[in-house]
Amino acid sequence: MKVLLLTWEFPPFISGGMGMACYGLIKALLSMGVEVDLVLPTTEDVYFPLRSVGDTETLPMDYLDPTQKNKPLPSRELALVERLRLVGLPVFPDSYATPALRQGFDKTMEEVIRSLQRGLARDLDSVRLSLESGGEIFKKSQVFAGRLAQYARRLQCDVIHVHDWLTYPAGILLKVLMGRPLVAHMHATEFDRAGGVGDERIHHIEYAGLTAADRVIAVSQYTAQMIIDRYRTDPGKIRVVHNAFSISKMSEKKQRIFKEPLVLFLGRITLQKGPDYFVEVAKRVLAHRSDVRFVVAGSGDMFSKIIKGTAARRLKDRVLFTGFLNRDQVEEILTSTDIFVLPSVSEPFGIVPLEAMAYGAVAIISKQSGVSEVIHNAYRVDFWDIEKTAEIILDLLKDPKKRKEMARLGQEEVMKIEWDQAAKKMIQVYQQLTCST
Amino acid sequence: MLHIVFYFQVHQPYRLRPYSVLDIGQNLNFFDEDLNRAVIRKVGEKCYLPANQLIKELIERYEGAFKVAYSITGVVIEQFRAYYPEVLDSFKELARTGCVEFLGETYYHSLAFQFDKAEFLSQIRMHRKLMMDEFGFRPVVFRNTELIYQDQLADSLEEEEGFQVILAEGAEKILKWRSPLYAYRTYNHRFFLLLKYYSLADDIAFRFSNRAWSEFPLTTEKFIYWLSKLSLVEKGRRNLFVNLFMDYETFGEHQWKETGIFEFMRHLPEKVFDSPNLSFAWPSDVPQMMDYSPEALSYPQPVSWADTERDLSAWLENDLQFNACETYYEILSEIQSRGRSDLLEIARKLSTSDHFYYMCTKYFQDGDVHKYFSPYQSPEQAYMFYMNALAGLRERL
Repeated sequence: MKVLLLTWEFPPFISGGMGMACYGLIKALLSMGVEVDLVLPTTEDVYFPLRSVGDTETLPMDYLDPTQKNKPLPSRELALVERLRLVGLPVFPDSYATPALRQGFDKTMEEVIRSLQRGLARDLDSVRLSLESGGEIFKKSQVFAGRLAQYARRLQCDVIHVHDWLTYPAGILLKVLMGRPLVAHMHATEFDRAGGVGDERIHHIEYAGLTAADRVIAVSQYTAQMIIDRYRTDPGKIRVVHNAFSISKMSEKKQRIFKEPLVLFLGRITLQKGPDYFVEVAKRVLAHRSDVRFVVAGSGDMFSKIIKGTAARRLKDRVLFTGFLNRDQVEEILTSTDIFVLPSVSEPFGIVPLEAMAYGAVAIISKQSGVSEVIHNAYRVDFWDIEKTAEIILDLLKDPKKRKEMARLGQEEVMKIEWDQAAKKMIQVYQQLTCST
Repeated sequence: MLHIVFYFQVHQPYRLRPYSVLDIGQNLNFFDEDLNRAVIRKVGEKCYLPANQLIKELIERYEGAFKVAYSITGVVIEQFRAYYPEVLDSFKELARTGCVEFLGETYYHSLAFQFDKAEFLSQIRMHRKLMMDEFGFRPVVFRNTELIYQDQLADSLEEEEGFQVILAEGAEKILKWRSPLYAYRTYNHRFFLLLKYYSLADDIAFRFSNRAWSEFPLTTEKFIYWLSKLSLVEKGRRNLFVNLFMDYETFGEHQWKETGIFEFMRHLPEKVFDSPNLSFAWPSDVPQMMDYSPEALSYPQPVSWADTERDLSAWLENDLQFNACETYYEILSEIQSRGRSDLLEIARKLSTSDHFYYMCTKYFQDGDVHKYFSPYQSPEQAYMFYMNALAGLRERL
């Protein structure tokens, strides 16, 4: 079984949960003998042929175009980050669209659209329009699709597996050009990310991808329902595959940053993640007792508003900020966390609470999240219910015994969640699709 | 007679490094040593050393008739010692000429007066001791951080013996119809007040190289002409003082050498001595030169020399600044009440007003000035590192 897998993020280049999810899933697939050809938004025309588990750490690479095989690739001696930089994979991608590639995309798109029946042709046309009218990120998605379309006849695989809207245009083209089944994975819809309605052009692309896909993978029931409600996708082709988590170092003992308990928010500081609710919770807890520390970890467009909000509430140095954290720093702060709060307004899955629980934190999780479907030993609260969340935190602070017990139960529970379960479900999906074609 | 009173401010803060939450409990390395060293070396080379050299030449050439005063903070002297001892030596050389005056201020260039009067006086005492130890000088003139002054400061300063004169900003909202050229008294009649003549001082400090300025270029002749005209306001031949207070970094740093700022200064004294109505004076000369009874002036609200508002808004205006400041003084008093002298020095380095200046969110023209001086990407970032440092400090209590 060989999967052509397209994603926008992969460690060490990640900005959110999707990169970590792809990493965990691919590793488990490889351990079960599935071959994965990984394509990332690189500047150079390369892909990553992954064959064994260790390949996820070293990322061997090759040219998409077999005629370029004699061109030298970045030396394997170099550190991974350095090699990836040489093929143009920035931490936070910016535009590298070239007019030539875009023309190629347009031509292929037109040919493809002409060859299709009316339904899909109309969807693709709206994808083309959306990509054309958008800014930098849309152009990148367009270039990515153009490149893959260019090499489609040379690529080989049993299944095409694409992750989130940026790779959907490429996925649709590949499905038509290669004649292989398409799996569209949904880590987050535009409705989740925007914490509201969002960008209409992305709706068009998501709709087309979900419609063109032979199977849709939702990371939770919550997301499956969102897809059905918002895009009217045929429920019969949706499968739910919950995420798991992977942490690099597991220490038995909790480390401490503060003598006092630490309550953590970790994620992008955007409307979707509910950082403003976290600050309100902090204010209520601190009104009762000051022997507790709140930390807001991450960066995002609401950073300025949130940090000024804590100052305006005069929360002193009891609410602190970290700015952007890399993976090692994330794990370091999770190790020191006593209570983890996920106040997301809409969270398709939410891997971080699992990681926090694995590190021995008690989790308080928004009911509007996918992760709340898979764990029981955590508190589930509506994201807007700041009184309730504050009450739970105060209760846990008052009763360290209870906190410890809850943390222990949570830790035991999450340790049973593994990527192997998700990978098995994925293989089933792949097999069903390849048998029927 | 119009006396030119030059006072130059010499100050550099201990800038914070990106102190992270993950550092708390691990270390108390709050300060960006590399950056602070680099700034001291750069400004030392471009400004302090050449400017001291020039001042020394002028003092020697005019045999003491050329007079200037310095206010040098404790934190900058510490950094000279650590990163550029030659600069400190050159100030000591100036001190040995006996022709420069040193002013008193808070050792840490802090806003302590606004929050903690006892701490304010302790920092003044520390600074006086430093001036005695380094320069053998006992200051009799006081200037508060950023020239911030209000009536209550004169009351507080009474508790500290030996001061006779306080420097302040010559703000119109206080002076109204009066002229900043006369000496005044504080509202309680305890001290003389000398007021900055900000338009002329800022012509040198801010506008000297500004090509969009209608008076550009500012020549020594032009400046002397303005000063001579000023001296005409006094018909009774009483002593007038034109108080030109500015950052010492004006010479070679804010105004680069290429702008001709050093040449401007080099030629100023000879032109002054050519004019029958002009001379130089130290701020401490003023009490002896009083040939009239000065009027008392009240500053009910704090007035500073910063920005167009000339109030505290550069340091204490938004929530970031207030939360940071209030938290700081809460922790400082904890440290003092618990007698944690081991933490006092590092804590006091966090009292320097620059930390709050970096958190300023005022926009328009002043925002640009703030941005120029800030080592951080944004006020929020400055606040983030500062609060982490405070938390790190509290963790050690």
